[in-house]
Amino acid sequence: MTNSIREIRDADCIFITGSNTAESHPVLSYEVVRAAKRGAHVVILDPRRVPLVDHATLFLQAKPGTDIYIFLAMMHVIVREGWDDQAFIAERTEGYDAFVEVLRPYTPERAALMTGVPIEQIEAAARIYALGERADGASLYGDGRGHSTILYAMGITQRRNGTDLVMTLANLAMLCGQVGKPSTGVNPLRGQSNVQGACDVGCLVNVLPGYQNVTDAARRQAVAARWGVEDLPGAVGLTVVEAMDAAAEGKVRAAYIMGENPMLSDPNTTHVEAALRTLDFLVVQDIFLSDTAQLAHVVLPAASSLEKDGTITNTERRVQLIYPVIPPPGVARPDWEITGEIGARLDERLGRDRDPATWRFPSTAAIMEEIAAVTPIYGGILHPRLEGAGLQWPCPNADHPGTPILHTAAFSRGKGFFNLVEAQDPAELPDAEYPLILSTGRVLYHYHTGTMTRRSAPLNWREPGGYVEINPEDAAAAGLANGDEVVIESRRGAVQTWVKVSTDVPPGTVFIAFHWREAPANMLTQDHTLDPVAKIPEYKVCAVRLKKPHAAQEAAASAAD
Amino acid sequence: MITLTIDGNSIQAAPGTTVMEAALAHGIDIPRLCYHPELSISGNCRLCMVEVEGWLNPTISCSLECQEGMVVRTQSAQLTAIRREILGLLLSDHPLNCLVCDKAGSCILQKYAYEVGLAGTPYPVEVARPLHQDDNPFFIRDHQFCIMCSRCVRVCDEVVGAHAIDIAGRGFHNHIATPFDGPMIDSSCVFCGSCVQVCPTAALLPASRKGLGREWELDRIKTICGYCGVGCEIEFAVKDGEILYARGTPEGPVNGEFLCTKGRYGWDFAESPDRLTQPLIRRDLAYALGLTDTPWALPETSVLEVEKPNIEDSFIPVDWDTALDVTATKLAETVQTYGPDAVMGLASARCTNEENYLFQKLMRLGIGTNNVDHCARL
Ligand code: SF4
Ligand code: SF4
Ligand code: FES
Repeated sequence: MTNSIREIRDADCIFITGSNTAESHPVLSYEVVRAAKRGAHVVILDPRRVPLVDHATLFLQAKPGTDIYIFLAMMHVIVREGWDDQAFIAERTEGYDAFVEVLRPYTPERAALMTGVPIEQIEAAARIYALGERADGASLYGDGRGHSTILYAMGITQRRNGTDLVMTLANLAMLCGQVGKPSTGVNPLRGQSNVQGACDVGCLVNVLPGYQNVTDAARRQAVAARWGVEDLPGAVGLTVVEAMDAAAEGKVRAAYIMGENPMLSDPNTTHVEAALRTLDFLVVQDIFLSDTAQLAHVVLPAASSLEKDGTITNTERRVQLIYPVIPPPGVARPDWEITGEIGARLDERLGRDRDPATWRFPSTAAIMEEIAAVTPIYGGILHPRLEGAGLQWPCPNADHPGTPILHTAAFSRGKGFFNLVEAQDPAELPDAEYPLILSTGRVLYHYHTGTMTRRSAPLNWREPGGYVEINPEDAAAAGLANGDEVVIESRRGAVQTWVKVSTDVPPGTVFIAFHWREAPANMLTQDHTLDPVAKIPEYKVCAVRLKKPHAAQEAAASAAD
Repeated sequence: MITLTIDGNSIQAAPGTTVMEAALAHGIDIPRLCYHPELSISGNCRLCMVEVEGWLNPTISCSLECQEGMVVRTQSAQLTAIRREILGLLLSDHPLNCLVCDKAGSCILQKYAYEVGLAGTPYPVEVARPLHQDDNPFFIRDHQFCIMCSRCVRVCDEVVGAHAIDIAGRGFHNHIATPFDGPMIDSSCVFCGSCVQVCPTAALLPASRKGLGREWELDRIKTICGYCGVGCEIEFAVKDGEILYARGTPEGPVNGEFLCTKGRYGWDFAESPDRLTQPLIRRDLAYALGLTDTPWALPETSVLEVEKPNIEDSFIPVDWDTALDVTATKLAETVQTYGPDAVMGLASARCTNEENYLFQKLMRLGIGTNNVDHCARL
């Protein structure tokens, strides 16, 4: 996030898109509720009627995968009406003229046609966001225009053009000067407790800790020097989805998986399982025997987050200490100890004469000292400083107070650049054979692949099984009623689950959560079209059809004959 | 800024600040039951009465705005008498169960009764709200302890936005209710437990703690929630190494006192019998290594078709040294035979920074590849 969570309650306008905030980030949604109760505008753009729409002042229900037309049309209207922030544009940005040219054909009329959202709603959203209007009363800020903030999540990033969409939201914020001030900004909501930190410390194929490019020889060699070698590999590595393909082809032969369950979380489950099975060696370190761990040659028992210390970094870049609350079961150990042991033993096997202290640390605080030494944005982040409220990076040195709001005076590259983005449609659109669009996501009571929440008695009591949400029109057409069993088929696979007839999804769209191993949503999702930059699969849109279970069985049987 | 005097202290307050807020900000503790800093003012308990110089009658401070030159007294014989009276009335409708009550020690009613030295009530005792609703595994609603402060109703509406509960009935028979007093699950409740968090008495209690420990026996350990990326601070109440319940605290830098259902109630996964407790080696590899005499092969059916995996079917337990040595040997062999890029590593968005840092260091420095990713994208 460019801004902090507690600023949301004081926003004049909150624009939420591609985020089911109330279910995926509940406590952050409390901030939105509070803002709404105090008179802020809450504008939501989503294909699904997410629960927070109850508190929205404007809801734009666009057909899945078409939101880009709305963003471009909003900016078209903003420029047309002169609602853009010319002073901010002149002072802080570059590329405005070319950008305005690209916007020209993206009229609200065209967007309405593509998305099904009325023109008036698009124009109202543009005005409310650009000017930071409140639904009730005057702006809480006295600096010209009201303050608007954008919140988004996986509904934006898990798309073939996810990078374009993120840049578009940044363009929108820059165009209206809604950045670098309290309660503004472009704010991605991270799904898991430490996604932010895992990225920050370099668990990505192209960057070392602190987003230093592996291809930047000077930066790379500086890290190498701290690690006691001359250089480190400089070629960008394989992402999860690419590595699965490489494994299937026999190019990747061994994998070390720490606390992830790609069997359920990655797209095209059948392909993932086949890839994992071809590996010569798979070691999985986890707290449960996940579906991925079932395929492992070696399984290492890890301590859970309630049983160890260290730090995690939340979605507003706040690095916070965690503490052991209960002892780990059996001989389970914290992941850092296990990884350190593997490192030291690997060196021995490879005949390297390196100080085992490279791997075996006395404490997590000592590891953090090394992180601070090689990671400029974490330069001042040390355990003793984190007691209490933690610190928000960038925090370059031991006296730095941390950074609650980014880009207050300048952008990372100096001036903000308007990237030119054209609309793109989803890779897999419905057709005669697969007439419905499938969207995937989460429910409130479960988390990710369900390995934890489904073992929680109260959470499982409240939401014991999966279901597919189907609009009454589509349900009637398929002859399905609430509680019926149904088979959902895509070009990649089929899953069976129960029907929940709901007007939360528009006609033509069905929704399924991915927590359920007995109805693994990612059997259906596609992995053939990744976002070209971020390499994120397009989970959010693929084409499916519905069948009654017996019809599906008959079809399978006749196909086998 | 407005200047006023509270209990002889000269205090500066911004316009619009209430006397309650100004006093609390300066460490002056005014007795209060229905007031909560994160919620709207209800003004129903009357316990926060103060005297203002020049005013005829005491008045409630939680809704009283500071005025220039105001002179306020929060303690006097008259105020104590009023508070005793109010507490006596509340206790006439509240079973004095403190001997077995799970809330004893952190109950705010008990605290004030103690402060004014009230052992019981001078009035005839009659419990107005006998309803006991134990209809969900998250929390128990025991209405006999309810003092109708409406904190739960306000938090549910104003912070959570669920508006699952409200005040139903009139006068002596009013009570906190879901629509038609139905079970929680049929209401719009999202089981966040915010109502339980702000309840001053035992009317709302976490089901997980019932009868398992008194407040003063519990260790309090604060940590950060392991579920989503909001990063809420949670304070666990622990007895003998077991979690009894979880709550938020006003100091939580992101969430204050509020949590969601996963953070507040979803911790029991850690105590699940399914937890891995020892290192395991798959039977085919164990056979190849001479750790077992029985040959074995991984079944070809998808693991997703296994309803509940049985560890002993496919794995044998080993000690740490064996597991770590086998892992290091196998990874080293792969590097030597196929090169470092034949190895990939998946780190975890649920592990700590320190763990992820060490993991990518292992992949880059130990193995020698940039094939290190995690499910950030997913
Ligand atoms: S648990 Fe949460 S949603 Fe349910 S009644 Fe209490 S405050 Fe409202
Ligand atoms: S308590 Fe809920 S909202 Fe807060 S971090 Fe945990 S999962 Fe996220
Ligand atoms: S605290 Fe002021 S009336 Fe209850």
